[in-house]
Formats: sequence, C-alpha cells, structure tokens
Amino acid sequence: MTNNETYDVVVVGAGIAGSLMAKFLTRAGLRVLVLEAGAPSAESFAGYTQHVEHFFGALSKGPESAWPPAADAPQPDTGDLQNNNGYFIQKGPQTYGSTYSRTQGGSTLHWLGVALRMLPEDFKLRRLYGVGRDWPLEYKNLEPFYRKAEYEIGVSANVEDQRYHDLSFAEGYDYPMERVPLSYSDQELAKKVNGMKVDFGSGPLGLTVRSYPAGRNSVPRGNYLPVTAVDRRPDGTLMPTYLGQRCAGNTSCTPICPIQAKYNAGKSLAQADRGKLQVLAQAVASKINIDTASGTVQSITYQRYDAAGHTVHQATGRVYILAAHAVENAKLMLASDLGGQSNLVGKTLMDHPALYAWGLAPEPVGAYRGPLSTAGVEDFRAGSFRGAHAAFRFDVGNDGWRSTTGAPDKSVTGAVTQQKLFGSKLRQYLAATLPRHVRFSLAVEQLPDPANGVSIDPNSRDPLGNPRPVIHYRIDEYTLKGMVAATKVYQQMFKQAGIADCTGSSDSLWFPSVQYGSTTFHYHGMGHFSGTHAMGTNSRDSVVDGYQRSWEHRNLFLIGSGSFPTMGTSNPTLTLAALTIRTAEHLIGELTA
Amino acid sequence: MDERLDQFLGLSTALTGFDGLELRGTGVAGEYLRALDDSLPGGIVDELLAAYTKLPEGAEREAAFSKNILDDPKLGPVVQRLTMLWYCGTWTQLPDAWRAAYGISPHDTSRVVSPEAYLAGLQWVAAGAHPPGSAQQGFGSWAVDPKGAASDQ
Repeated sequence: MTNNETYDVVVVGAGIAGSLMAKFLTRAGLRVLVLEAGAPSAESFAGYTQHVEHFFGALSKGPESAWPPAADAPQPDTGDLQNNNGYFIQKGPQTYGSTYSRTQGGSTLHWLGVALRMLPEDFKLRRLYGVGRDWPLEYKNLEPFYRKAEYEIGVSANVEDQRYHDLSFAEGYDYPMERVPLSYSDQELAKKVNGMKVDFGSGPLGLTVRSYPAGRNSVPRGNYLPVTAVDRRPDGTLMPTYLGQRCAGNTSCTPICPIQAKYNAGKSLAQADRGKLQVLAQAVASKINIDTASGTVQSITYQRYDAAGHTVHQATGRVYILAAHAVENAKLMLASDLGGQSNLVGKTLMDHPALYAWGLAPEPVGAYRGPLSTAGVEDFRAGSFRGAHAAFRFDVGNDGWRSTTGAPDKSVTGAVTQQKLFGSKLRQYLAATLPRHVRFSLAVEQLPDPANGVSIDPNSRDPLGNPRPVIHYRIDEYTLKGMVAATKVYQQMFKQAGIADCTGSSDSLWFPSVQYGSTTFHYHGMGHFSGTHAMGTNSRDSVVDGYQRSWEHRNLFLIGSGSFPTMGTSNPTLTLAALTIRTAEHLIGELTA
Repeated sequence: MDERLDQFLGLSTALTGFDGLELRGTGVAGEYLRALDDSLPGGIVDELLAAYTKLPEGAEREAAFSKNILDDPKLGPVVQRLTMLWYCGTWTQLPDAWRAAYGISPHDTSRVVSPEAYLAGLQWVAAGAHPPGSAQQGFGSWAVDPKGAASDQ
C-alpha cells in the first residue's frame, strides 16, 4: 500500500531532532511527513496528565515510569538492565546503562534539561590531544546554531556564568531567559568549595559550583515568551495554555515535568505549519528502499499499528531524514542492509558512564526540593590531561539520594524496620537527616571505540518482526582513569564541605559495574547515546558529512547525536538541536532553490 | 464519626508522630484502613485495633505498646508496614515467615496504593519537601534556606 500523498521530506521520528526539522521545513513551505513509532498520547494536556498519574502510581519512579512502551514499538528500560532481559540484547563485556523512549516527543519528555554547549576543544581532540577523532566542524561554525537551538528549546542561563574553557558567545548575546536560581544546597556547597584546589595528578586545579544552562522556563529576557504546556485536542485544535511559564520546582524533571515548564519536543512540533505537515503516529519505519544502482532512497516502508493489528505502507518524498534516535537510526539502516562500504553504521556507540557520589551534609541543605539539579562543576571538562584520561563534569543534585538509594522511601524503610523507630522519634530522625542528603553525578567522557556499537540479530525480533538491537559495550582505560580522577575530586570536595561520604552504602540501589585494578566502579548511563553514524570529512571513515547527509545515499540524512564523532562532556541535546537546525537551513536552501 | 476509623487514626498517630488532624488532612485515612483490611488475612486488623484500644493509660502505656504491638510477632510487622504506608503511600509485602505463620491475603503485594497515596506521603512533610511532581513550592523556592520548614513540628 502506498501513501498517495507526495512530500518534499519524509522524517522518521518525532523526538527533538524530527520535531525541530518538521518545524523549520514546514515554515519554509516544504511538505513534510513525520513517521513516529510511538503514540501521540502526550500531545493533549489531558493525555499528558495521564502520564503524570501513571508516574504517581508507579512503584519504581525511574525515567520510564511515566512512559510505558507500546508493545509494537518496544524500548529499553532501566529495570531490565540487571537481568539483561529487555529490548536490548546486551553482549557486554559491560552493560550499556542508558535507555530512551519511543513515543511522540521522544526522550525529551523525560530529559533533565541540561543544555550545555560543547567546548571549542571538544571538536578537535585528535589534533590537540591525539585521542578520539576530530569533527568536520569547529565550535565557531556551530555557535550561531547554538544560539538558535537555545531559543528553540528555551534555555535559561546567564552568559556571564558560561564563559569558561574558551566558550565564546556572539557580541551582545544572552540566553532567552535568566538563569534558574541556584538551590540553597548549591549555595551552601559553593560557599565551602568555590576556589578550592583539587589535584588528581595534573597539579592543583581550581573549581567552582556553577549554574548550568537549562531547558526550563525562568524569567524571560526582553520580549522572549516562555513556551507553555502543549494542548492539541483530538480534533487538531491547538489550545492556548498558561501553565508552565516558570519552573515551579516540581523536583520531577525526570521522568515528567507535570507543568511542562521544561522543554519537550512536543513544543517544537506544535509550532510547525500544520498545513504543510502530516504526522503519523504508531507508524514504525521498518525498511529503507534504495535504487541499487544510484544508492538513492526511493521510499521508506512503515508499519501502522493499533490494537487490531498492523498494515504495511510506503512513504515517498524527495529527501528522507532519519531522526529516530542514535540506536534506532542504526538499527533501521542495518535492517535495510545499508551498513555501507565503510561498515561504520552502528559502530562507536558512546555514552557518559556516570558515577554517583552521595553523602550527608553537616547541616540541612533542603534536599528534595527544586529542579532535580541546578548546578554543576565544569572545571574538568577541559585540560591537557585529556591526552591521558577522560574529562568529566559533575551534576550537583537537589533530589537527595533518590537515584542512589531510593530515598526517601528507603530511608523510611530502614528507620522503621532496622532502627525500629516510630512516632515522633521517627519523624524527628527523618526531619534531621533527609534535608541533609547530597548527591553528585560524575559523568565521564567516553571516546569512540570500534568495539562498541549496535548491530542487529535477525533471529531476535519484536512483535512487528523488526530486529532488536544488539549492544556491544566496553568501558576502556581512558574512561576508567577519568573515573579515578573524578572520584578523587568528589572526595576532596566532600571533605572540604564537611559532607560525610556515604557512597556505596549498603542500601545502594543496584548499578552496572566495571572493574579497574582493585577498584569496582558502579556506574549508570546518562541516556547520551551517540556516535552510531558519525560525521566526518570522507566516506571511508564516516557515515555522514558535516550536514549529516549520508555519503552513500545522497537524498538520505541521519540526524541526531548518532552523528557525533566524539561527545566531550556535555549533554548532547543542545548540540544535536544545533546540528539539526544547521541541516534544516542547508536543506531549505537546496529544496527551495 | 466512625469509631473504627478513630481507633485506626489513634494507632496511626502513635506510629507516625503526626497528629490526628494532620493524618485526616491527607485525605487518605479511610483508604489506608481499607488497604490494611485488604492486605491482611481476615480479623487481624480488628485484633490490632483491639490491642491498641486496650493499652493502659499512664506510665505503663509506652511499655505495653512495645510489648503488645511493636514487638508482637504477628502485629509488629503489620504496624511497620502501616507506618511505611503512611510515610510512603506504599504497601510492602509481609515477610514470607509471617505469611506462612498467619496467612496470606491475595492483596498483600508491594504496590503504590494509589496515585493519591503517593502524593500524601508523610516523608515529604517530614523532609520539609513535597512529593515530586506535585505540591510544587513555586519558582525559586528551592533557593531559600529550608530550616524553618524542616524543623516545624
């Protein structure tokens, strides 16, 4: 069955990359079809609220707890990692710790909102430090698009806080909104540690607890209007809303911001020109069909499913864009036998394996309030040590030990069943300890490693018959040494701040682990999938060019963090949004010429 | 007023350190009593409430509360779970040994009792915080010293 409509562009995936692409292309007058594997259930405010309720009622409050999968578009789940019995077939030697959501809006529905730019040096690690590989772009090429991405996402920050490690900003520029206020806990920590020197083998280095740019609505600058909650009704009407003009401190960025003060891709999709756009949800792209002589894509086969079953269709356009996620893009290419001459599709999968550090502050710092975090430590994202080991950044949490031990529930359980506390003593004990909980995430850089990647197993398929992703993943010595250095830094910070170190306490939740000498590191994924269709300067060592265009299929683009040659230490969303806008403008130039 | 619910709230006050007004104010007291009834084999809730009602007044009360309820092999694990229910909104399945000794209710499963129960968790009040995703404290509230809230009891 062929979809009779003709489109200029067929986009696979309505996450942030696909949604921004749809917005930019349709507003330039191009006709766009978006195929989304998941349901559009977050599109109306009533539907979104059901996801909030689902989270409230879930026993586990992990990133997926608000976003149950569709049987026909399965997705990885943190709860499946320990027994390796989920969507991914993990071949090791380490466990890939991250997950994503296949639903309209994608993983931005449960992202934290960190919107850091990559550093100028992140684009040229090979030239500077002899490791990784260089981007075909420099920071200066991307800077104008970072500004546009910050506008689209609605990023809150002050430029004055963000000038470090040679990050530069256009003259007169500041972010659309003022920085999100630092938490009381950040302020107390900053008083004690700002300016202290730490040493992890590269001489004494200073550090600062710093506000990071966040995709959460704050006080607008100038005429900027914060984008509020999306409410598209089943009849297509887009209702005006006022909810979410400011972050209200729901302490729930992940898994769901109940008021949509935090950006999600549904906001960008809602801004597309509906007259030029068709979105088909519950439409799983299953094969890319090419003309074997020219390599040109001729159509994309997709499966439209509902409770009754599924039907198979073809979508056709002038240009095709895979925006389905770093893993799903690679999976679709491999399922279509488009692994390519370079054999690089799916290879060099990266993440930021991150260590938790947690402790008890000497005084109450107001844990369990505010956005999940409001500050970080960015000082160790750059430096000559990158020739020897990974860079890293810290996220300083406001959510106590929720992610590390399952507190406060687990604290209550321990107090009641082990300490046998009850009544006013129980209440006083919790009041005296919970507000003192401190948590850091130490996110460590990972280099592109050809041994790591996504492949498919034709013998293991999902209910629609699409192959499941097979993951090979190891954490190499470069990253392990970075973990050693990051551990030294947090220990010195805790000591300086008088925080009693409780890291690895007996009530810790389970996390994947990796051995380094006599040390066992317990790590978690950051959801920063990248590198599976890396960009480069030629077809021998990369899958796409600097505009994310496939070298071998010239009317095919693979967009998203899969295009990153390296990932530095920044959360990838802002950079992938900037790359998407750059590709969109390039494509508009070509298609409307 | 419902006498059984009153007894339940009296017991719950002793277990949680929150007074009857605060517990009623959660809006889930009746739901928790029903959850307790559902999660235990028949008769045990009434046995528990009777044990609570029979406690002596005065100096001996505290020791009797420990002996007859908290340290009782049948009632002790039950009131621990009731305490955790009030604090977390979650019922935790009784230990296997308890289930073998005193019987099994088909509803004795670890679960969030309801979305409302999650929102009513006393742990958030004790911490001077709020349940994530609800009862938001407002823009910038997190920047303020929490001491007043945390020690307000």
